[in-house]
Amino acid sequence: MGLRNTFQRVSRSPTNPHPSSAPSPFDVADLYRGPVSTQGDARDEGAPPLDEKLRQAYFWIVNSAIISPHYDVEYNEGPPQAFVLGDSRSRLTLPSGQSYSSFVLLPLLTFATRRKCLFIGGPGRGKTASAILMGVLAGYSVREVRRAMQHGHPQMTIADLLGNPLPADLVNAQRIEDIRISWRQWLGMRVKVIDEYNRIPTRTQSALLTVMGDNYAEVLNHIYECPDSAWFLTANDEQGGGTYQVIEALRDRIDIVVQALAFNPRFLADLLTRIEENIRPEEVVPRQIIFTEAEVDRMQEEIRAVTVPGEARRRLEFFASHFEFCEVAADQFEYKTKDTARLAGVEWHTLAAQDTGRDRLKDLGCQTKNGLSVRVLMTLLIYAKALAYFRGNRVVELEDVRQVLPFVLHDKLSPDIEAPFFEAPGNSVFRADRVGWLRKVLDLSCADYDRLNLERDDPVAVLAAEFRLGLDGLSENDTRGRLVKIERLITEWSKGRKLYGHLYDDLLKLKYLHQRYTNYLRWLKTQ
Amino acid sequence: MVSAALASILRSGRADLNARFAAARRIHPDLEADAFSEFLRTAEDDLAQTVEKARADRLSEVTMVAYDAALELVGQKLAGPGSRLASVEEAWRRILPKAAGLVATAPGRVIPAVCNAVHQLASTPGARPAQWIEIMAELGQECADAEAFLKLGQVAAWRAGLAHFRPGAIAASDALPEARVLAALGAKSGSSWAEVRKRILANPWFDPAKAAKNSSTLRVVARAGSFRGFGGLFIEPPLVASSGEHFLVRSDQERWLLTADVFGATFHRASVKEFEAAAAERRWPAGLQMSGSRVVLDGDRVEFPELGDFSSAAANGATLALTSRLTHSILLLALK
Repeated sequence: MGLRNTFQRVSRSPTNPHPSSAPSPFDVADLYRGPVSTQGDARDEGAPPLDEKLRQAYFWIVNSAIISPHYDVEYNEGPPQAFVLGDSRSRLTLPSGQSYSSFVLLPLLTFATRRKCLFIGGPGRGKTASAILMGVLAGYSVREVRRAMQHGHPQMTIADLLGNPLPADLVNAQRIEDIRISWRQWLGMRVKVIDEYNRIPTRTQSALLTVMGDNYAEVLNHIYECPDSAWFLTANDEQGGGTYQVIEALRDRIDIVVQALAFNPRFLADLLTRIEENIRPEEVVPRQIIFTEAEVDRMQEEIRAVTVPGEARRRLEFFASHFEFCEVAADQFEYKTKDTARLAGVEWHTLAAQDTGRDRLKDLGCQTKNGLSVRVLMTLLIYAKALAYFRGNRVVELEDVRQVLPFVLHDKLSPDIEAPFFEAPGNSVFRADRVGWLRKVLDLSCADYDRLNLERDDPVAVLAAEFRLGLDGLSENDTRGRLVKIERLITEWSKGRKLYGHLYDDLLKLKYLHQRYTNYLRWLKTQ
Repeated sequence: MVSAALASILRSGRADLNARFAAARRIHPDLEADAFSEFLRTAEDDLAQTVEKARADRLSEVTMVAYDAALELVGQKLAGPGSRLASVEEAWRRILPKAAGLVATAPGRVIPAVCNAVHQLASTPGARPAQWIEIMAELGQECADAEAFLKLGQVAAWRAGLAHFRPGAIAASDALPEARVLAALGAKSGSSWAEVRKRILANPWFDPAKAAKNSSTLRVVARAGSFRGFGGLFIEPPLVASSGEHFLVRSDQERWLLTADVFGATFHRASVKEFEAAAAERRWPAGLQMSGSRVVLDGDRVEFPELGDFSSAAANGATLALTSRLTHSILLLALK
């Protein structure tokens, strides 16, 4: 067994048991499985499914590598036990389902989906250690990962980041194409780690942006195509601190933000063991949880195949529709967005002062200064699928969306902390608690969705479903009928109703349908 | 005191072995040094002495594997003073020294296998670990290699009550010498494996130890399960449904798969969906009739007045399972 083996224990399958749909066949070889470890246990068990391997990796990290007692991604199978504590009536819940630590789970999902994860938090909380572990999971040695890690510093040049032209070529070359580049090794790795990225000078950040965004590096007209990779960046202070302001485009490329929470001194004994036994978890990663390149490729395919059911998708659509709309930003309907105002350089407080008498407390759109981009929505869907996959499911549940949403939108949805919502009793805490606020906004959005009875009565969804059946063979009379239905619905909505974000998006969808039918009708008349 | 051979190995690997103990204690904080030492002095030393006689060159490796296994067993209170299951240590003491030659060739397979198998038997209600130990102590040493030893263990486990391993054990039997298989199954002298195998496959209630020909008499062959308050599985009297050659059982909110044959009956967790699907699809052998507490099959009649009316009944080609509101056991009747 030995000390190293103690740290190399991988949780036994199934790590998240589900009720089986069919009786499992009995294997007489199971007679010899039991409390005593068998030599070659890992060899005997066939390769587990990749989602099981991912869970084993997760449990190895939380049990043996990163001392992370925070279970902030909560799942319940039945009502959880909840307790109210302290003068501020803090709520502690004991989840009834298998729950997870975001600090380990989300980097792992980033690894599985090859996206980009930013660790934030004070120094010495395990951000870099966690990033290194992800590199080791990809099959690199600790030494390779450490050497390939880019440490941001104020003197970092583009050559430091990407590579240097060969000095001999610089002297002898007659044409720029003849200058060979010595590319930095990290560019070819499938896990890329950038430590303290907010200490990188602005110009070098732009070069980094090209690698992160477009997956290639360029020096002196030479191009290096990088492989698809998972990115892990760290920053001690994400809220504008650091040596250099991070350029917005670079921040926008980051898919998910994870906060390293404080160390719980109750786990000091575990730290002491590490010191006394001189164990570095990243050096004893069990080989059973190391993923090959082909396995990560396959895992990505399997994650993409996870389905998002209509109900969860509709709630997400409804949630996303609250934020972009800004009634006073433009005259033309399509331009009534916060982005229009932002592009015009209109001061936010000026816009807020012009508001049109909507209930600013009830309107979720009033809580933010911006809307959601397509990139953010895609990221949200991918991480929701990845989380469902990680939990052993092949269909996304609304709870999966709810759990990943705050981490995906952490840096993407800017709160207007002057909004009435944050003044309301009990809500001032959300000015600092971004994760809690975002989860709260989704919950409020879902409550609104239920209040409007959109699950059962959603006329736009009905019209859209009708349109999706296709226009082939649709008669002139039927087309006119559909146009009338759309016009009637808009007429009905226009009678004294205030305009909210979700209505605005519905109206734009109705306009789209109306236009498609109008064009079709026009074509039909020529036949 | 331990034997000189074991003492020498312990002395030479002292630092590593102490570190292993410390590591094991981190996983099993209840691991007591005294209990572990006692196990080393007795069970492990017995094994070391016999291995030294059989294969002295392999003693070091055997000792290391046995040491690690002992740490896990004593750490989980499965062996040593104050253990929860006496049969694990008994299996170690009775089987391993006798099969010292095999242990020496593959200690990493044989030692954990013996411990895990007997642990599984001891943890399965109705199984007979003592019978398994008896068979293995008697026949294990005759095996040509570790592979044959492990196959013999599978056959013996089936005979000792693990009915769910029946197909696998029959397959394992095919790979063993005939005499050893027949001895492991307790077959009547003069039997041939081919004949026994044929009859076993045809009828799960055929007992190789008895010469009885196929009986058409309807008879009670087992009573499986009991009230949880008495150490069983069921909170309330169960209901049964047929599921292929097995049965599905429902008691309160729990569902179980019941596998049963002449050697024993075992229960395994099942889902609500499985039970509901099985209950909806009822199959009934021709000629089998039930009325009140009476069962009739082709003229044979059995009555159970003490059970009152049956609450559920399920059958496959070989077995009829009956339940009553007056008992937490499932009555199994052979139909062949």
